[in-house]
Amino acid sequence: MRALLSISDGLAAVTDAVGRLAAWLFLPMALVILYDVLQRKLLNVYPEFQQTALYQFLPSTKAQELEWHLHGFLFMLCLGFTYIRNGHVRVEFLRENFSQRRRAWIEIFGCLLFVLPYTLLVVDLSASQLVWNSFLMNEGSSATTGLPMRWIIKSSLVIGFGFLAIAALSILLRNIVFLFGPGELRSLANRYVKGDEIDDLKHEVEEELARDAAAHAEIRDRGDHRPNGRQD
Amino acid sequence: MPWYEILPIAMLLCMALFIFTGFPVALVLGGLGLAFGIIGIMVGEFRVAHFNALPLRIYAGSVENIILVAIPMFIFMGTMLEKSGIAEDLLYTLQLLTRRLPGGLAISVTLLGTILAATTGIIGASVVLLTLMALPEMLKRGYDARLATGTIASSGTLGILIPPSIMLVLMADQLSVPVGVLFIGALMPGLLLAVLYVAYIMTKAALQPEHAPPMDRGDGPTGINLSAMVIKTFIPPVFLIVLVLGSIFAGWATPTEASGIGAIGATLLALFNRRLSYAVLKDVCYRAAATNAMIFGIFVGATCFSLVFKRLGGDYLIEELINSLGVGPWGVLAMIMIVVFLLGFFLDWIEITLIVLPIFAPVIDSLDFGGHVADPAMMLPWFAVLLAVNLQTSFLTPPFGFALFYMKGAAASVKIQEIYRGIIPFVALQVIGLLLCILFPEIVTWLPARVLE
Repeated sequence: MRALLSISDGLAAVTDAVGRLAAWLFLPMALVILYDVLQRKLLNVYPEFQQTALYQFLPSTKAQELEWHLHGFLFMLCLGFTYIRNGHVRVEFLRENFSQRRRAWIEIFGCLLFVLPYTLLVVDLSASQLVWNSFLMNEGSSATTGLPMRWIIKSSLVIGFGFLAIAALSILLRNIVFLFGPGELRSLANRYVKGDEIDDLKHEVEEELARDAAAHAEIRDRGDHRPNGRQD
Repeated sequence: MPWYEILPIAMLLCMALFIFTGFPVALVLGGLGLAFGIIGIMVGEFRVAHFNALPLRIYAGSVENIILVAIPMFIFMGTMLEKSGIAEDLLYTLQLLTRRLPGGLAISVTLLGTILAATTGIIGASVVLLTLMALPEMLKRGYDARLATGTIASSGTLGILIPPSIMLVLMADQLSVPVGVLFIGALMPGLLLAVLYVAYIMTKAALQPEHAPPMDRGDGPTGINLSAMVIKTFIPPVFLIVLVLGSIFAGWATPTEASGIGAIGATLLALFNRRLSYAVLKDVCYRAAATNAMIFGIFVGATCFSLVFKRLGGDYLIEELINSLGVGPWGVLAMIMIVVFLLGFFLDWIEITLIVLPIFAPVIDSLDFGGHVADPAMMLPWFAVLLAVNLQTSFLTPPFGFALFYMKGAAASVKIQEIYRGIIPFVALQVIGLLLCILFPEIVTWLPARVLE
């Protein structure tokens, strides 16, 4: 049982790391959008910008295609990460009153009957049809100045659903340990049956507000200590 | 009716059954799509080859789609804004400004909710934030708990209706209408709801002052100091609103471009407020990434579900079912509105927009209301905004209103019965707002017609 829990932890750690890495894609995405807007304005007043090396490297078509390339990787690579962090929305209406054991059973059946078949089907079909065909055809953008090699973005489906399957495997093992493992492991394995996300959120916001109050008090204090304070 | 024609209905029933187990909705949808595909293959209604279309549908529907890029960007912007500290400053200033009005504190909460709504497209923790920030203050001042919780829950969720809103982006994608038109069309109905809330609070406070005692006159700065404070706290949100909504309304930027600019703008605001650090940036990225993947998880799951549902004749069946009722376009409108309202008691906007809307979309598309909506091209946007106003209630209707759920966690001192009772007048106001938008489509169509001339 301890070994199962270690495997579960290992799978979760890998999935989580991939998601944390992908989460940073927000930043290049925002910057590429900003670049696209600015270069369009710039072209209006300074048409020669088209001749610069920067524009040659990243013309508007490429920038816009890059935006949804980044978007695709961002959400696909975070599907498993979100499941590991219990972020996929659940209908809590009845679940609130379920015992932890019943929640664990539901999670096990869900992973076995829904998630694993679904993710493996998408991984298999995406790899064998979508990515492979695109690679064979050497498919690129339909626009002449667009991005080449569509198989790269298409493989985000294979990778993303692959990690969602790994996340499901991790959660499956964890809940098996919770149900059948010895008492001392159960508290380590109950991550997906507790249902106290609201409390977590509340604590976070409370800490935040406390920090704010402290910051405000500090500013006020500083004002008071100044010789002629207040006016500035 | 041959027995296999009931497969789509069985599919819907199974979906209802399994999402109430509390298993993630996104994963139930995908799994059920596959399961019913296999059942379909066994009875000869579905072919193995039909599954081959699935990866391409997912890719073309959710990845290669520049409009949807706005969703991660708006989520990032909203998450960053929560960390920027502008909400706290704003609430204090608004409180000072409204202290002479009956129910001033409740009104400032509504105004804060409205301003925040115009700067962000998600509600996330904002209900929790408002609850923790304003509720203790309101109760301390002797506000009636029902009025206090009702005000906070309804104002804190305006963000999903008032543009920019990720719900409107998804609806535009589902119904193939321009995002910009929906944004502009939803503005007046959103403000209408805010005005209705304020009118209700003022009337209630004037008639029963003991439920909403005013603030002491002597508190806080006045005159020049107050004006300086107002300017200082209003600049950041106004800057963002002009940046994002202004550029969309003026036609300078597409909603996707505006979302990216807004994300950068919110980050700069956090930087100027000295709230931006590596730890905060990391936290915002992780949190926004999880919210984003949650929404697109359902999007992708719904793609799988509806691929099979349609192959099994589901949309045809729904269309036939609705036509056989023989209730005409107004009857269909009433039926869809009531169904969405009732579903809102158990589900929230994400499930309804991504699962229920695609099922009804072909029916909605074929409705004809004669000259009720002057410009035929505005029929679909009008309908979408009606749905959006309607979905606003899904946050507030017990037993599972998103806002109530969060509030219950954040406000331990208030009984859940009080929260439920406090919400009733506000849900009634939303229904009034919805009826006004149905009877007077100009509320929705007037502004887009002016702006998009």
